[in-house]
Amino acid sequence: MKRRNLFTRGLVKENAVLVLMIGLCPALAVSGTVRDAFGMGLAATFVLLFSNVMISIMRKKIPNEVRIPVFILIISTFVTIIDYVMQAFQPDLYRALGIFVPLIVVNCMILGRAEAFAYKNSVIDSILDGLGVGLGFTLALTVMGAIREILGNGTFLGMAILGEGFKESPVIFMILPPGAFLVIGVLKALINKYVKKETQ
Amino acid sequence: MTSTKNMVLTLLIVAIVCSVVLSFVYSYTEPRIAETQAQLTLRGIKQVINAQEFVEIIPDTLWKAVDSSGILTGIVFRVFPQGYGGPIPITVGLDLNGKITGVRIASAAEGLKETPGLGVKITEPEFKDQFIDKCAPEAQLKSDGGEIDAITAATISSRAVCNGIKKGIETYLNYLETPIDKRCVFSDAREFVEIIKDTLWYALKDADTIGIVFVGFTQGYLDCIEFMVGVGTDAKISGVEILYSSETEGIGEAIREKEFLNKFKEGSAEAITGATVSSQALIDAIEEYITRYKEYLK
Amino acid sequence: MKNPALIFLGAFLINNIVLMRFLGLCPFFGVSTAVETATGMGMAVIFVMTLASWITWIVFNVILLPLNLVFLRTAVFILTIASLVQLVEMFLKKYYRTLYNAMGIYLPLITTNCAILGITFLNIDNKFNFLNATVFAIGTGIGFMVVMITFAAIRERLDLAPINPSLKGYPISFIAAGLMALAFLGFSGLFGLM
Repeated sequence: MKRRNLFTRGLVKENAVLVLMIGLCPALAVSGTVRDAFGMGLAATFVLLFSNVMISIMRKKIPNEVRIPVFILIISTFVTIIDYVMQAFQPDLYRALGIFVPLIVVNCMILGRAEAFAYKNSVIDSILDGLGVGLGFTLALTVMGAIREILGNGTFLGMAILGEGFKESPVIFMILPPGAFLVIGVLKALINKYVKKETQ
Repeated sequence: MTSTKNMVLTLLIVAIVCSVVLSFVYSYTEPRIAETQAQLTLRGIKQVINAQEFVEIIPDTLWKAVDSSGILTGIVFRVFPQGYGGPIPITVGLDLNGKITGVRIASAAEGLKETPGLGVKITEPEFKDQFIDKCAPEAQLKSDGGEIDAITAATISSRAVCNGIKKGIETYLNYLETPIDKRCVFSDAREFVEIIKDTLWYALKDADTIGIVFVGFTQGYLDCIEFMVGVGTDAKISGVEILYSSETEGIGEAIREKEFLNKFKEGSAEAITGATVSSQALIDAIEEYITRYKEYLK
Repeated sequence: MKNPALIFLGAFLINNIVLMRFLGLCPFFGVSTAVETATGMGMAVIFVMTLASWITWIVFNVILLPLNLVFLRTAVFILTIASLVQLVEMFLKKYYRTLYNAMGIYLPLITTNCAILGITFLNIDNKFNFLNATVFAIGTGIGFMVVMITFAAIRERLDLAPINPSLKGYPISFIAAGLMALAFLGFSGLFGLM
């Protein structure tokens, strides 16, 4: 496979959230605002990228039988690093994301890429793969965050873009938990309708 | 067997390396996290009261606000009343008269769990700035006899904020006590010399003793009343201040009113109708104390 | 909120783990195709969640906190839970065959279930004592099982309903879950003023 495809595959064609339907918990939980969604996406991308790199470097040294515990150890180390760094430098964002920062460790997307890709491929390829999947995750979260923030709060990154009147009485439903389910359901339906047709 | 040994060894090495890396990250970020936390808290309490410095009295809960020369200007406290979706983190500033100087309610990003669009409106200035310059009994919803307008369709959140603030004021009000300046009751004096610790002082002017100031207690209607009195060498009262009392709201509290206290200066203090017990107790007690300290007036 | 009864109701209804906290969505959508499998998964989650809460609570308060090793929390918890699930699986297979048949095949799926790890973190973050942590875990687990079974029942009927092909599968499931979440939103504030 061409190197460029490695990157775009995870970004669009095999987008973790919107196509493969994994990593749903953070995608629904912290997509209430663009800032939270983008921050969460970058945090997961950081963990995915570095754990992919580490595992790819060590892939010949890790005995097959203990690979899963080793993956988990490496991933949880990077998760703890981003956890503490965020707490120290982005306390507001950290408080908004809450428990979902340490929970990156059980995001199936990350362990899945370690097992299916990084353990079998070179470092460069693993970097591209990690970046593609991670940014694809970020993209999906940010799109959801944008829809929910604009409709549910009348703002985009805190700015009232649909006018002050709409900001006064927005569709509150969208930033409540049910809105998250609705947005991803409709997005998935649109993808089924328009994107699947092209590939067929 | 070598394979088992290899497995255990790999796991062990990875675990050790990870722990070491994490302990470095931890030791580097830990002080930063503590500092950021402290800054965030300070940022929060600075929004509710204007002061140079804050002295923490109860960790994360109560601070004394002091000005540049270290004189108490008010207090700041935090309360977490139960709202509609969870506890509401509120920071409140009080001035020396027990009036609210400002209210800050954590936003949704900081952990407020009220309903978006409805309950979260308690964080908006239209609601929270209503509390400024109010004292505890006024900081209630209009429907509960106070002066605060509730947010439409979010009465539970609004009431929770009011009750939390009121309860907080009642709990922490006594931290505002004393340093009432002795000059309030003896405006002519320039200096005070302590005779009995925290109880009795000579009032001096140009190195002459011109009177005394004392602190006394008496039993009021509900609770103890603490007061400070200034007396001139001519045995005339120069001023009376109430330091502490928790008499019946609206009635017994009338003893705090200037109109009543000023009458002591004219020597014509008389009991207040409707608050006879509290006011009479105060009048009798002051007379008794003056008799007791007479010798210091010579 | 220190009252165990309130903690239980809060975890069960008001802050339902799936519909309000968004934890454990993978099994919620993945294993809820039939009421029977949903029940097995639900039981496995209640069981493991309670055990995991106990063990991680002890590990954190007896080992990590006194030794000042809190920064190893994430790594230690996930490894503890993974080993615990393995042990439970072996134990049930050997001694409690019927129980194993009912929920055994769901146990491996639970290791990477964010609901379990999430609850163990919440126990620590909320500074629960041992009793409250237990009540919290059981309440959360029951909440999980109840919505899981309800949702499976809805999906069994969805399979028979005439649905636009673009909406079939995940999209309509999400929308159905959204409507359930809307219904659960009605519980919020139920005991808020107690």
